[in-house]
Amino acid sequence: MNRRVLLAGLLLVLPLLAVLLANLGRDPHLIDSPLVGKPAPAFRLAKLSGGAPVDLQDFKGKPVVMNFWATWCVPCMQEHPTLAAASQHLRDEVQFLGVVFDDEEQRVGSFVDQNGSPYPALMDPEGKTAVAFGVQGVPETYFIDRQGVIVSKYVGPLDPDSLARELQKAMGGTR
Amino acid sequence: MKGFGFVLWLALLAGGLGAQPAAAPEPMAADPLKIIGPPLGQPVSPAELDGCTKATAALLRCPVCQGLSVNDSPAPLAVKMRGQVRELRAQGYTEEQVLAYFEKSYGQFVRLQPPFAGINWLVWLAPVLGLALGGWLVLRLLARGASKGATAPATAGAAEDPELRAYLERARALSRQEHNSKENS
Repeated sequence: MNRRVLLAGLLLVLPLLAVLLANLGRDPHLIDSPLVGKPAPAFRLAKLSGGAPVDLQDFKGKPVVMNFWATWCVPCMQEHPTLAAASQHLRDEVQFLGVVFDDEEQRVGSFVDQNGSPYPALMDPEGKTAVAFGVQGVPETYFIDRQGVIVSKYVGPLDPDSLARELQKAMGGTR
Repeated sequence: MKGFGFVLWLALLAGGLGAQPAAAPEPMAADPLKIIGPPLGQPVSPAELDGCTKATAALLRCPVCQGLSVNDSPAPLAVKMRGQVRELRAQGYTEEQVLAYFEKSYGQFVRLQPPFAGINWLVWLAPVLGLALGGWLVLRLLARGASKGATAPATAGAAEDPELRAYLERARALSRQEHNSKENS
């Protein structure tokens, strides 16, 4: 009887252990998304600074880093210097875009005035672009290769190492 | 002449203003037409739109909540999704098309009722199978308990333990011995 109970317990516990072990080395920030490996949803969004709307098609042939953020999001403020520095450093190689999620234009304007942003802040007032990308919260960053295909989705604040690693994937794509 | 110049200036200004939007493209969010194709149903009338929106939103999981539907959640993302459900239903997209639209970006996780296909059968069948297995186990244990209660002697436990059995046999022998010696005296 005891042997039977032990066997039944092992049958239940071993698959769980296998799942845990298989995911042990995985980065919890890299979340599976049905859009990874597929073309990024098309959009044309107004810039906070005004002027012509920004269309994803405008950046064909260039990797794009698309960061969803808001001024009320503390981790977004933490990662902002990392993204700003990278966008300045890679100005000619990579296009960075910040899409504002559920925030007021005035607050975003004040933040950009105070902290600066070397890349455009795009307004998505109805959240349609966020929903099309499958955004669940902010910050979330999508790395899009030269062909316009999403290569990874990163959830949470980006640190320089993670940004460099994901950028490498996006820049590795060939046209 | 002055008046003509003013009118000309106004006409040029109006022409310039009128031409501007055509030159600069308007902002555009993700186009459902490109994602799920044209609507397969009829546009829902304003009178029915509230009910249709609620029914469809109730089948969508709020991605940032714990087990709440888009219809029940007050989260900003759920509010935005509800707005999009309303818009799509008003355009004539069917319930299934709307669910497919959100599934493209959030995966099957966004459906509160996964379809009966592939490994999803497990989700629907596992509770029934679990209940059946549990019921069978309980019935089996009850039946075993009843048959044991009817036939097993009070010292059934002793029969399984050799030490206890030896002790009981010794105690019974001593008891018999004492009983006999009392009777003889």
